[in-house]
Amino acid sequence: MTGTQIIIESILQALAAGVLVGAIYGLMCVGLAMIFGIMRVINFAQGDFMMLGMYAAYFAFTALGLQTVFGAVPGPYVAVAIAGPLLFAFGYAVHKFLIRQVTGMRTIAMEAEGHYAQLVLTLGIALVLQNGAMILFGAQLVSLRTPLTGQAWMLGPMWGDAVAVFLNQAKVVAAIVSVVIIAGLWLCIKRTRLGKSLRAAADNPEASVYVGIDVDHAHRIAFALGSAITAVAGGLLATNHPFHPFVGLDYVIVMYAGVVLGGIGSVIGAFWGGMTIGLVQQLSILVLPTQLQNATIFVFFLLIVIWRPQGFFGRVTERT
Amino acid sequence: MTRLRTLTFAALAASVVAATGAAPASAQTTTGPGQIGPLQIGLIAPLSGIYARPGQVMKMGAELGIEDVNAAGGIKCLGGAPLKLVTIDSGDSVEKATNAAQRMVAEYPELVGGTGSYLSSFTLAVTEVTERANLPLLTLSYSDLITERGFKTVFQTSATAGAQASIALPIIMDLAESETGRRPKTVAIITDNTAASLSSVKRMKDGLLQRLGLEIVMEETFTPPLADASSLVQRVRTSRPDLLLFLPTVISDANLILQKLREFRVSVPTISFGIAIAEPEVLNVMDARLVEGVMSAVANWGVKGQEALIKRLKDRYGEPWMTQNAISTYGDMWLFKTALEKSCSRDRQKLAEALRTLDGGPSQYYPGGTIRFDDKGRRIGASLTIIQWRDGVPVTIFPTDLAVAKPVWPKP
Amino acid sequence: MAFLRSLLPYFTFAAGYLVVAMLVENSYYQLIITLVLVWASFGLSWNMLSGYTGLISFGHASFFGLGAFATVLAQIHLGWSPWIMLPVSALIGALAGVLIGLPTFRLRGHYFALSMLAYPLAMSYVFQWLGKPEITIPRVLDHPALFLQFEDRRVYSVLALLLLTVIVVITRWIERTRFGMSLVAIKQNEAAAEAAGVDTLRWKLKAIAVSGAIAGAVGSFYAVVILVITPSSVFGMLVSAQALTVAMFGGVGTVWGPIIGATVLIPIAETLHAVIGSYLPGIQGVIYGLAIIILIIAAPEGVFWKGVDLIRRRRVPAAGTVPSGAGGVSRAASVEPAGGASPASRISDRIMLDVRGVSKRFGGLRAVRNVSFQVRKGEILGIIGPNGAGKTTLFNLLNGFQKPDQGQVLLHGSDLAGCRPHFACRAGIGRTFQVMRPFKRWSVANNVKVGAYVRAASEEEARAIAREAVAQVGLSAISDRPASALTTKQLRLLELARAIAGRPEILLLDETLAGLGSEEAKEVVAVIRTLAATGLTILIIEHTMQAMVQLVDRFIVLDHGQLLTEGLPEAIVKDPRVIEAYLGAKWAAHA
Repeated sequence: MTGTQIIIESILQALAAGVLVGAIYGLMCVGLAMIFGIMRVINFAQGDFMMLGMYAAYFAFTALGLQTVFGAVPGPYVAVAIAGPLLFAFGYAVHKFLIRQVTGMRTIAMEAEGHYAQLVLTLGIALVLQNGAMILFGAQLVSLRTPLTGQAWMLGPMWGDAVAVFLNQAKVVAAIVSVVIIAGLWLCIKRTRLGKSLRAAADNPEASVYVGIDVDHAHRIAFALGSAITAVAGGLLATNHPFHPFVGLDYVIVMYAGVVLGGIGSVIGAFWGGMTIGLVQQLSILVLPTQLQNATIFVFFLLIVIWRPQGFFGRVTERT
Repeated sequence: MTRLRTLTFAALAASVVAATGAAPASAQTTTGPGQIGPLQIGLIAPLSGIYARPGQVMKMGAELGIEDVNAAGGIKCLGGAPLKLVTIDSGDSVEKATNAAQRMVAEYPELVGGTGSYLSSFTLAVTEVTERANLPLLTLSYSDLITERGFKTVFQTSATAGAQASIALPIIMDLAESETGRRPKTVAIITDNTAASLSSVKRMKDGLLQRLGLEIVMEETFTPPLADASSLVQRVRTSRPDLLLFLPTVISDANLILQKLREFRVSVPTISFGIAIAEPEVLNVMDARLVEGVMSAVANWGVKGQEALIKRLKDRYGEPWMTQNAISTYGDMWLFKTALEKSCSRDRQKLAEALRTLDGGPSQYYPGGTIRFDDKGRRIGASLTIIQWRDGVPVTIFPTDLAVAKPVWPKP
Repeated sequence: MAFLRSLLPYFTFAAGYLVVAMLVENSYYQLIITLVLVWASFGLSWNMLSGYTGLISFGHASFFGLGAFATVLAQIHLGWSPWIMLPVSALIGALAGVLIGLPTFRLRGHYFALSMLAYPLAMSYVFQWLGKPEITIPRVLDHPALFLQFEDRRVYSVLALLLLTVIVVITRWIERTRFGMSLVAIKQNEAAAEAAGVDTLRWKLKAIAVSGAIAGAVGSFYAVVILVITPSSVFGMLVSAQALTVAMFGGVGTVWGPIIGATVLIPIAETLHAVIGSYLPGIQGVIYGLAIIILIIAAPEGVFWKGVDLIRRRRVPAAGTVPSGAGGVSRAASVEPAGGASPASRISDRIMLDVRGVSKRFGGLRAVRNVSFQVRKGEILGIIGPNGAGKTTLFNLLNGFQKPDQGQVLLHGSDLAGCRPHFACRAGIGRTFQVMRPFKRWSVANNVKVGAYVRAASEEEARAIAREAVAQVGLSAISDRPASALTTKQLRLLELARAIAGRPEILLLDETLAGLGSEEAKEVVAVIRTLAATGLTILIIEHTMQAMVQLVDRFIVLDHGQLLTEGLPEAIVKDPRVIEAYLGAKWAAHA
């Protein structure tokens, strides 16, 4: 292999890894965008919702015997599909009994519109979920293994007998599923009544009330939907990445960074924000020490946000 | 529960002592000063939070150790006084570990010694407290820094990370030569940036690799946990080393990298350092075929002659094999017994003194060397074990006299 | 003196705490007693920036971690004592604060909060990369006290209490001065603060410098207490979250919040960990989390404010009914009856404001197109036009919120175009806003005082100016009442008072009558007229035509960003172009 071939292979491989990682990050960010973008609630427990989604899929797969019914390859994906509705119900309940107490109309009179209470509340939820999961599920690492997990497609050799790119099969499937879900969600938001009320509630909750939209209900649906999408993202991640009860902390920051990059309030923006983070994280290895790959994300994030505060897809709003 | 039992026992002991008039009973202490009152040994390890798993395994080893010491008649010199384990959760942060250590020394004044605390940063924090309280602490953590602070009451039973590299690499080289007929010439290193891994790598690069005639063709340091290992493994693939040295601390990183090596169809003999790659959980997250043949240099492991013990661990706790965390902590209880017989006292300072001057003969539960500590508190002659994944179980292949199986050089 | 008296409750608390700390022998309790103070201090550092300016920072671990690392590294490599490094760390923290603040203060709200999070995380990775996965403070055996090392743990508690006391005194002092008032003004409405003459960027930078200094010193002290630090133990997300949690739990925007938060939460967490953690590892986290959830739902604004509100409610049982019953306002307003001075005598010939061809474009939208007009001293000029005609944008161009792409804004002949709002304010342009955001727990007088700083050299003077402004709008009778107890009309008058406390020559009123009933609107109009009678020039945007026609001397009409026409009220309401563009059929019928 010549030097040029090595460089080309490195770039292609980093790009491929970035896109595959980015697609999953993108779906996570979309889940968060439903919650953070529409309700403007900073949910510290978002990563732990994802962890719950991972365990939900894991137990659906192992305990329900999906492997025998659906086979080893589709089984885990059926399990992921089950985790979505489960976490939808969970998110719905969490909003109804907890989040609603410190959001929406009743916080308008509060200091900082209730943000302080939301932060502390979701921090408490995060603690309960992490430690509760450790008690119930144990501290050991598990994963939602499929035969695809340890296999890759090799593209190439593309240049003589060199320059090959390897694509993990589980990751490729996860990326495709992510994109499909996001496309479906996008259509749903653009076309359906529900989508319209969600958008209205995001843009201007007060005005939405006057035009007869039940903002509280819209928020609850958004919260539940966001939880479900995050759970699915978690389940897909679990097919190629092991996890434990404290895994949420590793991803929650990536999610917020992605949503802010994309522009708060934009669902499609959140996907591209997550994708950007995946790409920056993987491409940074080409020029910077691997140790700094996550530092690069944050520096890049800061540069973009300070340069273009509204994110990629955010609208220019009056600052007064 | 434990506290309750202590109290009952204390009351009992006190009444016995009072009745016989052997010694004045003290109202302040939880256990009477009578000769048969149990001797408290602390286990300060992470039992909650992200590092809970290793802490729980250490606890298993400690419980078995206490049981065996007591079954063997306790501390004979102190009238057969049994050992009693006091478990303290060091939590998942340096601050929590410091708090826990302070609690240990303040709330358990009777404690004669302790062992802990898995992660080297926790051990550093804990020993800052125990040193000031003169409480002897044994540790299986192997960061060099732990015994470089001039402390008098810290005893490192494992070879330090730096020493492990010096011991393991020549053995590996000899093994390669005897199995394949040629010595590896080039090496790739993938390491995370935890303290122990960094001190091993530092030792390798400070002349060790050069002396062994190894040239580094690729070196990457990452911050755990990794999101994706493609680029790292791609670099291994293009640099085509004869040998891959791999120093992970987090199991998910070990998993990702091994999996990627397989995916990228890179078959390079892989030598790991540390137990991340040989924990039972590894099989939760990857196929046993993926790790087959992978070797790892670990500070300690269940070895030949410990089959009965390993079986008990398996039966009681469901642990499939005995990792460093279990066996070292088990051995610590025997080490305490030996030292207590020597100090023949309930005084922790005397126990520390006994540990400093101990000559306990050849080591039984730690690989290599003797039960003696140098000025720094490092066990003299401490060696390590090399393990290899064979048919889905990591077995000891070195030292030869303790090996369960003969080493097989992974076929490239 | 009053300042010292206000600190009395704190000193009582500190004395009590000191006694407890001295009596406790157990070294573990002693450590917890120290850590409560450390986290309370860190919470106060967070409160200094976020509590008073309302800009939530998720990244206070930056300053904390830099202080901690500087202290340990200085002792290892330079042999410097933490005694030296404590103030040095404060300097480092302050410097880091300014460096981080300069770019990041461009952002607001959630963007600011989340960007702040990125700094400590990036730093954490960098320290890891520099090969500092864990470092310890070397133990000193000769003269340990010179290196802040003590056998008796109580010494640390005393030192921590001293540190906290210094921080409390600084915070209370800042709270009571222009500094603190400006920060709170930023919190309630940054735009309004700028318009009231507050140089918001400068104050925010000062706040983050002080906040960073405190956090740096606290981080330095923390390293001395814990002795071992790792990048994640001082830069980690949980460190920043700790500051937030103690402050928000206890109550934001008061020295008591972080103190209450730390005193309650740290011991609860530790006790749970120590008592039940060994039975079922993890259960302590679950119970602690549940406790936080329940308490925050019971007291969403923090324990302190909950207590204050409870006490206040008991003391003033009928707070809601009193203001509406008080007739003082309308009476004061009607002292000067409508038309007290005829327009002719009020308006001088001098051109006060000369707007020449200003334009502003947002992307493809031409919000304001080549608008020119003049305003004479003492004139009341009404600006009308349909929604989206560019009225508010025009105001923004006049007082510096936005820089015109073209054109000039001449005040007394000198060009103000593109000056920052606080400069425009100083030059004599005051302004009110459509959305009112007073600081609800402050009295009317204090709310108005914020506006007075731009003209006042001292606290005393600011108070006097504020008192005068409150009297001018007729709110004197209720000047001690918290803003939360005011009616909409009273809030509008409060806004007016704050604007005139800056002693403007020109006052821009943005929909001051919005949301008022016709009777209430009349009262406010009366007040505006009395203001005009004192020689103030007034520009007003308004939709309520009836009130406007009676109030203004002249109209200008905007449509699609352009000046459609200008003229006397009678002429304007009859102008067919105006009726078509803005007033529509409804008004045409009315006319």
